[in-house]
Amino acid sequence: MQNDRLLAYFMILPVVIAVLAFVIGPTYNVGTLSLTKIVMGQERGFGTFSNFTALTADPVFWLVLKNTAIWILGGTLLCVLVGLGVGAFLSVDSRLTTGLRALILLPWVLPDVVTAMAWKWMLHGQVGIIGQTLETTGLTEETISFLGDPNLVMWTLVVVLIWRKMPLVALILCAAIRSVPDDQIEAARMDGATAFERFRFVVIPNIAFSLTAVTVISMIWITAEFALPWIMTGGGPANSSQIMATYIYQQSFEFFNWGIASAMSVINLVMLASIVALYLYINRRSWASEGSK
Amino acid sequence: MGSVTLTNIRKSYGAVEVLHGIDLDIADGEFTVLVGPSGCGKSTLLRSIAGLETISDGEISLDGEIINKRQPKERDIAMVFQNYALYPHMTVAKNMAFSLRLAKEAQSEIDRKVKDAAEILDLVPLLDRYPRQLSGGQRQRVAMGRAIVRDPKVFLFDEPLSNLDAKLRVQMRAEIKELHQRLKTTTIYVTHDQIEAMTMADKIVVMRGGHVEQIGSPLELYDRPASVFVAGFIGSPAMNFLPGSAKGGAIQTPNGDVIQGLPDGIAEGRAVIAGVRPEDLRLADQGIAARVVVIEPTGAETQLMLRTADTDITLTTRDRVSVAPGDTVHLQIEPGKLHCFDAETEMSLRTDDT
Repeated sequence: MQNDRLLAYFMILPVVIAVLAFVIGPTYNVGTLSLTKIVMGQERGFGTFSNFTALTADPVFWLVLKNTAIWILGGTLLCVLVGLGVGAFLSVDSRLTTGLRALILLPWVLPDVVTAMAWKWMLHGQVGIIGQTLETTGLTEETISFLGDPNLVMWTLVVVLIWRKMPLVALILCAAIRSVPDDQIEAARMDGATAFERFRFVVIPNIAFSLTAVTVISMIWITAEFALPWIMTGGGPANSSQIMATYIYQQSFEFFNWGIASAMSVINLVMLASIVALYLYINRRSWASEGSK
Repeated sequence: MGSVTLTNIRKSYGAVEVLHGIDLDIADGEFTVLVGPSGCGKSTLLRSIAGLETISDGEISLDGEIINKRQPKERDIAMVFQNYALYPHMTVAKNMAFSLRLAKEAQSEIDRKVKDAAEILDLVPLLDRYPRQLSGGQRQRVAMGRAIVRDPKVFLFDEPLSNLDAKLRVQMRAEIKELHQRLKTTTIYVTHDQIEAMTMADKIVVMRGGHVEQIGSPLELYDRPASVFVAGFIGSPAMNFLPGSAKGGAIQTPNGDVIQGLPDGIAEGRAVIAGVRPEDLRLADQGIAARVVVIEPTGAETQLMLRTADTDITLTTRDRVSVAPGDTVHLQIEPGKLHCFDAETEMSLRTDDT
């Protein structure tokens, strides 16, 4: 008995060490760093909230929060909505959709950097093919600089983000929709439900579990996404597409404001943790109401 | 009202035709059972009537109106599915109210109809439960409740009892029959279980391979099966079949037994099949010789598994028998209880009716 327990501890030891070294350790460091005053890369005393007060005084930080809200909330919402639409379309059996189901993952398997560079050039204000096409077909009077316009840039990033992240969401939801029992759909048809009513009242409740899971997962993905906005805009023009991930990177590795960057990381972590907590809460609630099935 | 007429119904999936021209008349209020082995097309036919399958050819009419081009919801037909198909996220009451809600009926009206149906089906204490909290039999009743609240012209049942255990099945059988007697709604019921068909139906439609094999009341099918297939399908234990040939107004089996009772006008030497139900056989001093293989007493009656030189025969008797496995016995057929079929077409050679 005693031996078994020792063996068990021994078996999980490597994972515990890895988690301590690569997750708990750095998190602890960031936590202490955020409470440490740092001047010119020099630590000047632990136990201060000056990093957080400096952040709230920084007007860029509020812009970053707004942009991050567009990025995370807008991105997640659109990603799930578009994914739901595409997934519903893909769930219909036809020769077209079986082919598309395989093809749709293409944006998802491309490396981040390739995606970002390709879109950056396609959206370029002078040489981008998208702006040019819109102009030559007469849809716009002059070439739009998608990444150069402070009012457009955040939403342009969101569109690229959706192009990249939506396919997997669509596939997961497609699989969920296809697993809805046929006889429930047929019963709804007999009950007089239109196609929309069948989707709204039968399909959606049946896939609610996948839908919440996929929403939270995309939220986490999008929060963690860094390469795409960094390569495409680097936060510009004039911080108008600066989001948490890029601003933290800029503060720590370009300006060496580790205290500020750590403080933002802590805020970011709290945000992510609340999303996950919300997810667990919703899941536990739906598990509780599902019972053992 | 709800009389259903099917005319020359055909259904193909690609090049494969699964229903080969079905004609069927179902009177208002009739309980009709479609029965047959799996793959005979009975479920496809039912789903075609429901509108869940589109037929390739033919006409379905309800009270004289052709409905086969209409959507399921425009047909005024309700269906009870094999797996109940309850909406798992809705309570019993909401499941039953769903169609009424979609039809935008007034809430008071919905409540009244759901309550009425729940009372008929003993579901009142369960109205706030979710399907997962119900037993199989209760779920089945909710599925029926969902059909009842709509007060449709026709009820369709697609093997509704096949997921229940044997005891519950017998109970639900009686409940469905009682419900039909109470509501008197035209009912079309699909099953592969001939006992269900026999016990519940006003009219049985035996199907096989996309054709209607025979239509009739349960006892008509039992007493006057039109073919070897119907004779073997209806009745349990199944009818015994003894191949032979017509000889001198009787049937002679290959091993020399002579069976009396061949209908008149059968050509000498014609290959025929003699059919006799297990309960129409009795032990006698002479007749068909057979060896006892297994004896199965069930209390009320005893079943004997016998073997002649070339076939197995089942005999049931209400008498207590004193034979042992390995004994040789002789069998006589009750007068007038012999069924004769043509060996080639497997159709009945009976001449006194259709």
